Amino acid sequence: MRWVGLFLAMLALTGCNGGTVGRHALTNDAATIDSINCEAWLLSGAVARNRVTTYYAREQAEELAIQAGNFADALAHRPTAAGLEPRVRAKAKDASKLASRLWRLHDRPTDRDGARTLAATFKQAGSCS
Amino acid sequence: MSPKVLLNLALGILAAIGGFVDIGDLVFNTAAGATFGYQLMWVIPVGVLGIIVYSEMSGRVAAVSGKAVFDAVRERTGFGAGLTALIASEVVNLLTLSAEIGGVAIALQLLSGLPYRVLLALAIVGLAVVLWITQLEWIERIFGYGGLCMLVFAVAAVKLGPNWTQFGKGFIPHISQNNPWLYLYFAIGLLGAAMTPYEVYFYSSGGVEDRWSVQDLGLNRANAIIGYALGGLLSLALMIVGAAVFLRHGINPEHLGTIALGAEQPLGKIGLLLAIVGIFFAVGGASVDTVYSGAYNLAQFLGWEWGRYRHPAGAPRFTMTWLVLLVMAFGIVITGVDPVMVTEYAVIFSAVALPLTYIPILLVANDREYMGANTNGRLANILGVLYLIVILVIAVMAIPLMIITNVGQN
Repeated sequence: MRWVGLFLAMLALTGCNGGTVGRHALTNDAATIDSINCEAWLLSGAVARNRVTTYYAREQAEELAIQAGNFADALAHRPTAAGLEPRVRAKAKDASKLASRLWRLHDRPTDRDGARTLAATFKQAGSCS
Repeated sequence: MSPKVLLNLALGILAAIGGFVDIGDLVFNTAAGATFGYQLMWVIPVGVLGIIVYSEMSGRVAAVSGKAVFDAVRERTGFGAGLTALIASEVVNLLTLSAEIGGVAIALQLLSGLPYRVLLALAIVGLAVVLWITQLEWIERIFGYGGLCMLVFAVAAVKLGPNWTQFGKGFIPHISQNNPWLYLYFAIGLLGAAMTPYEVYFYSSGGVEDRWSVQDLGLNRANAIIGYALGGLLSLALMIVGAAVFLRHGINPEHLGTIALGAEQPLGKIGLLLAIVGIFFAVGGASVDTVYSGAYNLAQFLGWEWGRYRHPAGAPRFTMTWLVLLVMAFGIVITGVDPVMVTEYAVIFSAVALPLTYIPILLVANDREYMGANTNGRLANILGVLYLIVILVIAVMAIPLMIITNVGQN
């Protein structure tokens, strides 16, 4: 029974986004934030060229904004490994900016000029290729 | 073959292509392409051949003995082992059903902009009504033909102009030097998604309901081989899109809507719309298959009346089971849990449960009392045993790999 309990506990912890932010976790979270930036770049680029529907643009932007916002919250408040705090908190600010830009896209899914400007910002922030 | 049989075969194959891909295939194939490019291509034919081998076997058992998989499980393995297989399959079915229904609601949300939870309720009620009032052959055709919109990913894959040399090299089995644990996790996920047990339960029960006999063994073989092989091409297309769009741009596709963006890139708005509609029908059809599979398994294990062709009132406990499963799945996804995450857990747990499904099929297909002269031939046994070894390895490795890779997040 003890092994079953241990196994279930490990399973429950799998995928959790809590705990101390170490170097490895920071690298992973930074990569995910870049990934969201690059997807936002594709999405806003498609909005700018009128290649997606309004509903799709709004719903997908919302999904990404929520995801970025969750990262911003977690990275702003979670304890960090020694020496990493400035980088973790800076990443939290990046994620927060990303979330607010995505909410802008969500609120104006037909604004093609605005989407073009946002696309350039997302591309630069995520170093997208 | 008469023209009518040929027509039925063609229609069945079309429906099989459209109905091959479910949310597990969508998530794992695209994510594997986005993470490892073309390196995991070889896993797709391995998985497709596995599902062909065991579907053909289970269809043959159904045609010759008139018994579906869980009838055989109970008779061959006894009550205790049968109950274990039943519980495992029902848990995996419920998780898969929850993920598929979540996927239906997401696709509807991307098309309509309505709130997710409202669409979840609509999806559940809509599915229950469709299952209650529509004849099964029409359900299969509607979802199967609608799922053909998924072919947009095949067009997108070609139009994206993938690196065909790298694509070809991807069919040579190997272990990636770059993060081998994650590579193995994806390999197991792809196999689990391709060989998911509910497909075999549904396939063999369908054979019994269609009153297959020894005369239908050719039809069974053609359906299994052609339908699954052509359906597997969609998996290849999804992986190509993952590699050519998402890996290229450094995107990890974590949302169902992101996958549709992969079709928008080469094909524009029409590509996007076809992709979302295709996803809707693919996951909707898989919802039907999983909810029926859950009801089949329980009814067959307990010896209840079962059947999709009966009026719901003619098999009340079977009907009650699929209704309860729908309500339970709704209870899971309404909590707000991410359907993509549920999919990953469902696929990995189904990998663990694979031996409980496939070992009894192999045993029964070799049983002369059941099968008479139609027991497995040499090729079926060699492939069956080889896949059994693969399945056992997968079952042992699946959960440790899920923990090591943090559900594929590392």
